[in-house]
Amino acid sequence: MQTLRVNGYDMAYLEVGQGPPLVCVHGTLGDFRTWYSVLGPLSKKHRVIAVSLRHFYPEHWDGVGDDYRMAQHVADAIAFIEQVNPKPIDLMGHSRGAHISFRVAQQRPDLLRKLILAEPGGDLDASLDPSAPPSILTRMAEYSERVKAGDIDGTLRSFVDGVDGEGRWARLPAAAKQQLRDNAATLIGQVHEARKPFSKADAQQIRTPTLFIGGADTKGSLAVVHRVLAQHVAGSKTALIEGGRHWMFEQAPQDYCRAVEEFLAAG
Amino acid sequence: MQTLRVNGYDMAYLDVGSGVPLVCVHGSLCDFRNWGAVIGPLSQKHRVIAVSLRHFFPDRWDGIGDTYSIAQHVDDMIAFIEKLNAGPVNLMGHSRGGHICFRLAGRRGDLLRKLILAEPGGELDASLDPDYEPGPFVMLQHFTTAAEKIAAGDVDGGLGYFMDVLEGPGTWKRMPAMAKQLLRDNATTLIGQVKDKRPPFSKADVEAIKTPALFIGGANTKGLIPKVLLTLAANIAGSRTEMIPGATHPMFEQAPQKYSEIVLDFLGS
Repeated sequence: MQTLRVNGYDMAYLEVGQGPPLVCVHGTLGDFRTWYSVLGPLSKKHRVIAVSLRHFYPEHWDGVGDDYRMAQHVADAIAFIEQVNPKPIDLMGHSRGAHISFRVAQQRPDLLRKLILAEPGGDLDASLDPSAPPSILTRMAEYSERVKAGDIDGTLRSFVDGVDGEGRWARLPAAAKQQLRDNAATLIGQVHEARKPFSKADAQQIRTPTLFIGGADTKGSLAVVHRVLAQHVAGSKTALIEGGRHWMFEQAPQDYCRAVEEFLAAG
Repeated sequence: MQTLRVNGYDMAYLDVGSGVPLVCVHGSLCDFRNWGAVIGPLSQKHRVIAVSLRHFFPDRWDGIGDTYSIAQHVDDMIAFIEKLNAGPVNLMGHSRGGHICFRLAGRRGDLLRKLILAEPGGELDASLDPDYEPGPFVMLQHFTTAAEKIAAGDVDGGLGYFMDVLEGPGTWKRMPAMAKQLLRDNATTLIGQVKDKRPPFSKADVEAIKTPALFIGGANTKGLIPKVLLTLAANIAGSRTEMIPGATHPMFEQAPQKYSEIVLDFLGS
């Protein structure tokens, strides 16, 4: 694969199409393949750059080391974008990748033209919503131990069902399950990632034009977080994908791409 | 994407892992993403190179011209492997991609180490099938109807017609949204495909294959496909055949672990 050297790591990416760059950041257990269902439509007008974050496939990581951290992935994303031209670029993230993208926008708005956050993952602190349901992060220690013990499929089932609802893992196509397995070891690292909750001050710091995208049928924490953040990110827009859940771009690729294209094209 | 210049065309490919190359050729209406379910396990021990054939995504073909054919794609794959300049490669193809790999092995066995054919597409001529009747491929009229819809701009109508004829009424409607989108991204290739007159396999074709070969099938695949697979396998000396229980034509998506295990075992032996 193509790679860019960022902070001492060769970060792999897939690059398709021509036009202004749209950098795409996958979430927990994802990699560059996360965006396969929307590569076609989005690459008609953009140079779509789908990265694999440090330690995700195509690396076959063993889970050993202490550099799987939110701050590291944010620093890597910034170092990556610094090497993409022309700037400023459009940045899109899903789930944990949207958390990373949010932090990039806080730290380096100069790199960004527009920001797309598809169900950002994380907790809301008391300044935003003291009664928000807890995110899946409360279970990461358990997942880490179970993956270390070799219970890959059992852990992935707990994770997917925890995020998207009971019985969802069983209904996933075998191909989707395999792509999660390819990244299972990252759950070992994620328990130590030190992800901070979102605060009202964080949200108010975002000056980049922002689109939030949610699945209309998403439940729990992930359904709450983007709605609350949207209230505090000045001028932000929100698109809800009918019939979509957390992996809404796979469930409704055409609707998802329409929302993205419309937002990126607007003046 | 990374590309290699072959016969005047920039051919895109995904290149993951290290070791002896395993070059992977997708089938009809697919592209390099075809192998997404198995590149994880396979790239642990091999350099997996998943190509997109001429006119498939990321290309956006208008369907015009006569550069979509088995002959062109075989020429392109030969040039691609030569340009790769990594010595003899392992070559794997699915469906129409299996047909292309078969033809390549017949012509240029010197480029290959091992050959994997996952339900290769095509027909058998009279030297392999006593029931063979020459004439137009029975499905061709239906496929032409589908291609005409696509050429007229009705992409979903054409793909829906095609899938329902191929796999039974209601197939398109039941397909996952993601699978549909990947077909849309390659819909115009169907316009080329209905004009592509590929010759059937003959006994002489089969006997020209000297590369160690593995056939992989889905145990539940129906119709002509398993008949072609088993006949080809029976006529290639020393070839191996593995049928994956419970699986059909896209067997590597349905059973990625089993499929990868079979491939890794064959390549390692």
